[in-house]
Amino acid sequence: MNNRRMFMFEIIRGAAAILVALIVAMVFIFICSDKPFEALRYMLVAPLITNGSISMNSIYTILAAMTPIIFTGLAVCVMFSSNQFNLGGEGCVMLGGFVAALVGIYWSTGTYLDIVIAVLVASAACAAVLYIPAVLKVKLGASEMVSSLMMNYIIMYVVLHFLNHVFADGSKGSVQTFPFAATAKIPQLVAGGSKLTWGFLIALLFTLLVALFMYRMRWGYSIRMIGINENFAKYSGMKVGAVIILSQVIGGFLSGMGGAIEVLGRYETFLWRDLPGHGWTGITVAILAKNNPIFIPVAAFFISYLNRGCTLMATYCDVPSEMVDIIQAVIFLFFAAEKFLAKYRQKLVVAGAKEEIAQKTASTPKAEGGEA
Amino acid sequence: MGNNEYVVQMQGITKVYPNGVAANQGVDFHVKRGEIHALMGENGAGKSTLMKMLFGLEQPTEGEIIVNGEVVSLTSPTVAISKGIGMVHQHFMLVPSLTVAENMVLGMEPKKGVFIDYKKAVQITEEYAKKYNLHVDPNAKIIDIPVGMKQKVEILKALVRGAKILILDEPTAVLTTQETAELFKELVSLKEQGYTIIFISHKLKEIKQITDRLTIMRGGKSMGVYETAGITEQDISRLMVGRDVILTVEKEKAQPTDVVLKVRDLEYTDSWNRKMLDKLSFSVRKGEILGIAGVEGNGQRELVEMLFHLNTPDAGSVTVNGKNILGMPQRKIRELGVSLIPEDRMVYGIAASGTIEENMISDRFDKKKFNKGMLFNMNAIHKESNELIADYKVLCKSYKQEIGMLSGGNIQKVVVAREFSSDPKLIIADQPTRGIDVGATEFIRKKLVELSREGAAVLLVSADLNEVMELSDSLVVFYNGNIAAYFEDTSVLNDEIMGEYMLGLKRQSDEEIRRVCHE
Repeated sequence: MNNRRMFMFEIIRGAAAILVALIVAMVFIFICSDKPFEALRYMLVAPLITNGSISMNSIYTILAAMTPIIFTGLAVCVMFSSNQFNLGGEGCVMLGGFVAALVGIYWSTGTYLDIVIAVLVASAACAAVLYIPAVLKVKLGASEMVSSLMMNYIIMYVVLHFLNHVFADGSKGSVQTFPFAATAKIPQLVAGGSKLTWGFLIALLFTLLVALFMYRMRWGYSIRMIGINENFAKYSGMKVGAVIILSQVIGGFLSGMGGAIEVLGRYETFLWRDLPGHGWTGITVAILAKNNPIFIPVAAFFISYLNRGCTLMATYCDVPSEMVDIIQAVIFLFFAAEKFLAKYRQKLVVAGAKEEIAQKTASTPKAEGGEA
Repeated sequence: MGNNEYVVQMQGITKVYPNGVAANQGVDFHVKRGEIHALMGENGAGKSTLMKMLFGLEQPTEGEIIVNGEVVSLTSPTVAISKGIGMVHQHFMLVPSLTVAENMVLGMEPKKGVFIDYKKAVQITEEYAKKYNLHVDPNAKIIDIPVGMKQKVEILKALVRGAKILILDEPTAVLTTQETAELFKELVSLKEQGYTIIFISHKLKEIKQITDRLTIMRGGKSMGVYETAGITEQDISRLMVGRDVILTVEKEKAQPTDVVLKVRDLEYTDSWNRKMLDKLSFSVRKGEILGIAGVEGNGQRELVEMLFHLNTPDAGSVTVNGKNILGMPQRKIRELGVSLIPEDRMVYGIAASGTIEENMISDRFDKKKFNKGMLFNMNAIHKESNELIADYKVLCKSYKQEIGMLSGGNIQKVVVAREFSSDPKLIIADQPTRGIDVGATEFIRKKLVELSREGAAVLLVSADLNEVMELSDSLVVFYNGNIAAYFEDTSVLNDEIMGEYMLGLKRQSDEEIRRVCHE
């Protein structure tokens, strides 16, 4: 009974945080726009409805944008659940995309097996990379936050080096690889320019798999228990070090898969010159979802929707697209603020406790009789 | 309202904590001016919560507090102190690296320019110490003085800040018998000088000895106020627990057989260069409960840590059924049939934000029985949790409840359920009933005896002298990281004999002690 009440509270709290963020956004829009109401319309409504009818294309675009951040969100979920603040997801997205592109170019088998091979090789490479900060943490006590953060830049510059000096297609005006084989491209799910691919369904499938892994398998259970109380896990006989490493290797695998699917689905060649940002967004998504894999697609949808709205607003009105960062930051702030709405929560708790006392009092004679 | 007879009136106090625990429900608590008033009740009865509200550490959800006839809102200890209320906590709130005098004036330092006038601080300390007959050494560092003196410093600290009402939270829990007697003398003298003292305790004898009136709490409610002289110990005990407590556990005579746990020449020096374990040797046999008594801090904690590889000794050996377990991962130690009820359940015993079920299966979740291929066999897991909840009488709504929401006694029952149900060959029970209610205590003690009679070897470490004397078949006394005495038969023992060995006044001969190795 209390659990349900607390669940409702969390939802109300989340909604309130989002509402406050939107109000803050509105204030900024009113300050910097000459046509604030139109800007708001673009931000909030336009992603769904254009010219008075539901715009499927726009929705497909949102779903397509969700794909990589579902993967990075899941990756963060798994890593943060073991209480490891590994921020290496960002670099893994770039590396995953790069490796998948290379496999798609140079190891093509000429069948659709290309996709499977490219994605798996890329994921495995990223898993191996995040093994490094994990081992440094477990064996040497080096902060995984620092080493994984630094790892992102090592990855970026290594990728850029090989892109510039080894794999660049010299015939093109900008730095990019050769196009990958047609059989390595992930097919579109719907026709049109939205670039919504089968990758989206794979992302949803992995959401289920990760949820199963975390709540229905012994390794996920160990990860969560270690995250709650490492001493307890150790005392209970869990292989704490191995599980901490495992959680981060899985995080790398998922992030890499997100990058691979993104590149193979949306591009013809690999042309990222900078960290793509999906890894950072994944952290926001995981926090919004309270590290629960099942809520990751919901959170990813929300973020993608906001992004789309802000892009439209920036394109058609006089509000810069950076507005999305402000909104995200404010939501973040209120989600992270433990005491936000604490008084309201206390009221709920008191009500619950009173009910319980009343129930107990009502059933007391029976209980005492039973004990005697 | 302005009834001058009462110095503190708490009316209809209800307190609900953020985790949903209703620690106080409509409690009335009235203290007369110049009396020593006992607040009694089991652990978890709500005494500490009530006093925290009187000292401004917590705010009541409902009800009002009247101090000296004036309705007050005690929003912080600073406010409480300004109303003349002082509190001596069970765990001292002193800065160990500072001197007594510095602690005394903390936050209200006498100044000479921008510097602290240390001489003045010493002077204030001496003045108060003399006035109230509480002798302390102003220049000693807190870290170097005995517990009894620390307590005096705490009392003086409250007095210096102008407290007229003193709350003492289980003041005798950490004191020796002699120190307790001294404390009581001092309290009586304070009372004679017009101070009001609220004395939290659950030790019946002390209460009868020193208090004028008493309020009894049970399950967050007040069970009434009584004149101490007019109520018997039996009545108090009945009011506290709601039935006559039989804390003697019936047990058959032990039939110990083979040695299970063998500890030899264990040595450990901690990071402060204190020798915590000094050539420690003993054995525990199948079917017996070996108790370890002793004042806390004489190596008991370190020993338990070594036995479960939570720390590594400098030298020595530990075997379980002939297998060396030093340096073995906990999983392997558990596979040998070793169970541990840890001293602090919140540190090692549970994952507080996990469910009851998740806490029940933490040592067995990877067993074949609970897995179907890659996936958990949820039915088997639910069945196991439900059985354990029923067998160990854990009061909860379901196995899905968050364990941190349960009371201390019920949390401990979950820990015990897990540790006792793994078919243990050796049970290490470190303070198994600390801080839990009488019902749960009795239950856990009975189970412990039951398991030993079914053939488990039990090593019981307890700071509760009654517990260790009542439950153990044989017993060792720890002093300075070593065994000071071994008693094969605990029935001949009494507090006095124990006290002498515990305080290091006496020590048995090496031959007598050597008998505990059973060689």
